[in-house]
Amino acid sequence: MNIIVCLKITPDPEDLEVGRDGSISTERAEWTIGGFDLPALEAGVRLVEAHGGKVIVLCAGPAEINNSKIKKDILSRGADELYTIVDESLRHAGTARTAAVLAAAVQKLGEVDLVLSGEGSADLYFQQTGVQVGERLGWMTINAVSQIEVGANGALAIQRTLEQEIELLEAALPAAIAVTSDIHEPRLASMREILKAGRKPTFEWSLAELGVADLPETIDILKVEAPPRVARKQVMIEGSPEEAAKALLSHLRKEGVL
Amino acid sequence: MSDASQTLVYSEDENLLCELIGAAGAFHRPVAALVTSPSAEQRAAEAGANLVYRVEHIPAGTLSEDVLPTLAKLVHDSLFDVVLIGSTVRGRLVAGRLAARLNTTALTDVKSFTLESGSITIRHMIFGGGAERVERSLSPAVILTIGAGMFDAPPAQPGRKAETTPLEFVPPEKQAVLRERKALPPASVNLAVAKRVVCPGRGIAKQEDLAMVNDLARALGAEVACTRPLSEGLGWLPRERYIGISGANIKSDLYLGLGVSGQVQHTVGISGSRIVVAVNRDANAPIFEQVDYGIAADLYAVVPALIQALREH
Repeated sequence: MNIIVCLKITPDPEDLEVGRDGSISTERAEWTIGGFDLPALEAGVRLVEAHGGKVIVLCAGPAEINNSKIKKDILSRGADELYTIVDESLRHAGTARTAAVLAAAVQKLGEVDLVLSGEGSADLYFQQTGVQVGERLGWMTINAVSQIEVGANGALAIQRTLEQEIELLEAALPAAIAVTSDIHEPRLASMREILKAGRKPTFEWSLAELGVADLPETIDILKVEAPPRVARKQVMIEGSPEEAAKALLSHLRKEGVL
Repeated sequence: MSDASQTLVYSEDENLLCELIGAAGAFHRPVAALVTSPSAEQRAAEAGANLVYRVEHIPAGTLSEDVLPTLAKLVHDSLFDVVLIGSTVRGRLVAGRLAARLNTTALTDVKSFTLESGSITIRHMIFGGGAERVERSLSPAVILTIGAGMFDAPPAQPGRKAETTPLEFVPPEKQAVLRERKALPPASVNLAVAKRVVCPGRGIAKQEDLAMVNDLARALGAEVACTRPLSEGLGWLPRERYIGISGANIKSDLYLGLGVSGQVQHTVGISGSRIVVAVNRDANAPIFEQVDYGIAADLYAVVPALIQALREH
């Protein structure tokens, strides 16, 4: 079974800086593989370990994704090949354009049975791109999948986690599946895998090579800002620990929260 | 976008469907609802939908997502230019697939939206709530997804009828087969509904010291949460207990941070708490800019004093 895993490489949300004026900066953020995407890679690698085939990772984004450390990280976690699609226009692309680019890459690769994506990207978490890729390919498309097995008939036996229930589904291949972040704990690469990663093939495609250089953009980003801050009383309580503890409890009783 | 056009709303969740009808009222033009059951038809009519499209002859074993081809045909044939979809797991799949068919971007989990000079501008969260992004749609057809509780459903008008149009179910080309459905086991903790939350941060030196935090939580009748490093980094507490970006957002009456510095990655998750309290020995910690009550002192002295005072009361 040949599997493509779509990973988004983004500025680490943990490195987000918020200015006192409400401005947002990711300039000093380290770029990383999305934390919700790694479980998708793990799911793909496990399926290939059990059933054969290969895992191809697909990443689309601006020049920052061309980072040798991140590439090595991806390939040391069990991916066999890595394709990056680098273009500045992908930095702020709407999900429609990102999905069209990824779907074009899947079609160009051909001979693929399954496309996996994570629950949502680490930066935007719109939970859209994976399912849009599947629909653009015209494939069986399912989200929130928390378990994937290959049944005796060659179809996938899938567990899907909804708000209040679990669904067990059977789905024919080819399929595009967005997995939950708890489908698998991502593996830590072994030294052997890290050494092997440097010899694995990596490829870079341009939008023109995929025939998607002139796609129209569907959104115009007007503003990114910090959410409005809640006004707080900011009462600082002084005194010994015992006095402060008593004073705090007295305030909390007056507030009616005890 | 012409004034003659309509807004279409769809959700398999009937409460959310009514909230979508409420949200769509902001456009000041007719609202149509797509429904797949008699009860949803009634709820939509009573919530004020002007027109109801009722899908008929749905085969047994059909997943609610399989309504997509019927929905896509309706949007195409009736020239709907705004579609609101409830942001459930199923709704997000329907929205994404419809967006792909219409070659547009579904604007997800919209907090607010405006319609100005013919184009829709929306606001939604990014970076796990660390920021908000305002976007204008450039597409002729706009798909918005809206989560539960974001907009109010209009007051129900019992017995109200809407003009109903039956719609033939369009079978999907590809369908998953449902084998079984079972209830989800309850989570060990649901911080989103906790009344009081005690949250240790990096100011806690050793895992054993959490015993003292647990004692305080018991005395307060509070749930124990934590900051991300205590969960993902140190593994002292399970993932479902950390607050902030990619973690839980609380709506408690009381949040008590112990040795929490106040990084935005954490504080985005506590903005919904009514009263925020922090104990931290660093008087300059950013958390103190966002508290109702603060104690700038060693938590190892304050926590036992709090437990003692609660016991004495």
